[in-house]
Amino acid sequence: MNVIRTFGLSKTYNHLVVPVNALVNVNLEIAEGEFTAIVGPSGSGKTTLLNMLGGLDQPTSGQIFIDDTEITGMKESRLIDFRLRNIGFVFQSYNLIPVLTAIEIVSFIMLLQNYPKDKMEKRARELLDQVGLADKADVRPQKLSGGQQQRVAVARALASNPRFVLADEPTANLDTQSAFNLLDIMLRLNREENITLLFSTHDQRVIDRARRVITLVDGSIVEDQHFEK
Amino acid sequence: MKILVTLAWRNLWRSKRRTMITIASVFFAVALAINAQSFQKGSYELMIDNMVRYSTGYLQIQDVLYEEEPSMDNSLLMSDSLLISLKPFMKRINYMVPRIQNFALASAEAATRGAMITGIDPAIERRFNNLPDQVVDGSYLNGSDHAVLVAEGLAGLLKVRTGDTLVLIGQGYQGSMAAGKFPVKGILRLRIPELNNNAVYMPLSAAQDFYAAENRLTSLIIMPADPDDADRLTEELGEAVDSNWYVVRSWKYLLQDLLSLMKFDTAGNMVIIYILYLVIAFGIFGTILSMMIERTSEFAMLLSLGMKRGRLAMVCLLESLFISFTGAIAGAVLALPVVAWYHHHPIPLKGELAEMILQYGFEPVLPFSADPQIFVTQAVIVFVMALIIGFYPVYKIFRMKTVERSSR
Ligand SMILES: Nc1ncnc2c1ncn2[C@@H]1O[C@H](COP(=O)(O)OP(=O)(O)OP(=O)(O)O)[C@@H](O)[C@H]1O
Ligand SMILES: [Mg+2]
Repeated sequence: MNVIRTFGLSKTYNHLVVPVNALVNVNLEIAEGEFTAIVGPSGSGKTTLLNMLGGLDQPTSGQIFIDDTEITGMKESRLIDFRLRNIGFVFQSYNLIPVLTAIEIVSFIMLLQNYPKDKMEKRARELLDQVGLADKADVRPQKLSGGQQQRVAVARALASNPRFVLADEPTANLDTQSAFNLLDIMLRLNREENITLLFSTHDQRVIDRARRVITLVDGSIVEDQHFEK
Repeated sequence: MKILVTLAWRNLWRSKRRTMITIASVFFAVALAINAQSFQKGSYELMIDNMVRYSTGYLQIQDVLYEEEPSMDNSLLMSDSLLISLKPFMKRINYMVPRIQNFALASAEAATRGAMITGIDPAIERRFNNLPDQVVDGSYLNGSDHAVLVAEGLAGLLKVRTGDTLVLIGQGYQGSMAAGKFPVKGILRLRIPELNNNAVYMPLSAAQDFYAAENRLTSLIIMPADPDDADRLTEELGEAVDSNWYVVRSWKYLLQDLLSLMKFDTAGNMVIIYILYLVIAFGIFGTILSMMIERTSEFAMLLSLGMKRGRLAMVCLLESLFISFTGAIAGAVLALPVVAWYHHHPIPLKGELAEMILQYGFEPVLPFSADPQIFVTQAVIVFVMALIIGFYPVYKIFRMKTVERSSR
């Protein structure tokens, strides 16, 4: 079953001197449980694509369906709520709320979702445990390493119990060891919990582990490879 | 929602210094504004108090024509009907000060001068303005004396001393000739230079004799039991007395020239205070702006995650609210001892300025007003101002795009 489907997705940035076609007629299907890397040179439209799929920005034309819900043209207030309940985000940076501790950050999403309070803490601890940060529950982001911060971000993304998780260059700021570590966690969650993961990356080490690699050039999909791993 | 409060609270302490600086700006704005206002209001209160105490009283009954032509012919008669119409108000009246005031020529052996003769009830005048305290030589009057007190300046001009005799010549009631010899019982030192150079006081009965104006006064000053009642009392008395003969004037009417001068002056001072507000407002705005710039990515991230704009705005508002509130309260509280101190220990003035103020007839001191309304008004104004500025982030949050985060 496909979680994400796009039809003729295009995005043009018009406010510059020369209009930029960041995405050109992208047709994409992402099935449940896939572990997909979006690759391509800088400026090829990876971030733009993820922003569209995450409902953070609206395309110039085309449609996006999440399961059977069309999010293109959705009103902002509904979209915010839709994001909250269906999409997990891991950004490259500025992921975490600086004034909250790891466990509060993970719980924050559940708070926004009105998740039952009595079960919240237990679940937050479980999630931190899954990303190997059980002992860092009461630490604030600035006291965590870059890799640990990204793992908290993954735990938070999962806290909302999303249909899929989007990650824009999650390993870009990490050293090799931390990058592998994060990747292992993401892969394991994908295998064991059947979490659908879609991420953009430049990182060959990450690309090597993906089961599907979509290559963008100048806003168009030029290659879509599936690997058996 | 508790998490919003937690977020706001922790954000405040995240950049402790900025929070402190902003609170301090609000604090200084409030404290300065309160001091400036107290200072101004204090000097006005003193001025009005001086005028009311030494000159007009809170309200006066006069003959209807007296204002137009202040002469003995337009003096008022202390008739039975007047006393009867005053009777129902006696509970609200603390006491009344009867006065006759008219010009006369005063001559001694050496010189002749114009003098302002004031007939007073010595006992009541003591209560009204502590006149006996101004006696620097000789002694104060008794009600039955046939004698005068001469102000120091005038005494100097006439070269008279206690024990000398003064000849007074003037125009009495209904064109009668007023003339008499009066021994000088004492010398007064009056603060108001103009008065000090022309005042002569004598007992009311002596003055009435002198001016052939039995049972007549030029004004009957009324001191209400409660000064705040003055306006209403003026109005009600005005309706009670026979309006063919009598008119009741409040100090606001009698001092209207002074009051309009003060209003004009206040406007000038308000401009200064507004400028102060403006400077502070920009200071606060600056810190809010730097906070916004610093947190744009964080805000965008929170919006991306699915936090509603309203909730995020609420966090920012709580932060501003805390800063404004703390600053305003601290400003008001800390201004209190300063204002209280200068209220009880007015700043004395020296030199030319002091002399100038003396010329106008006022004490050369600058007391602070302790009117609680000043505290409340200033604190509220600055608080509201800070709060309005606090709406800038709210506005920004509602206009912000979720993808602004990709600011690399
Ligand atoms: N907000 C924007 N306004 C104008 N042009 C934009 C905007 N965001 C992206 N672009 C342009 O759209 C194109 C695609 O940008 P995008 O950020 O999606 O690329 P990317 O593949 O994520 O690049 P990178 O690998 O450097 O992150 C680029 O030409 C970029 O300059
Ligand atoms: Mg990118």
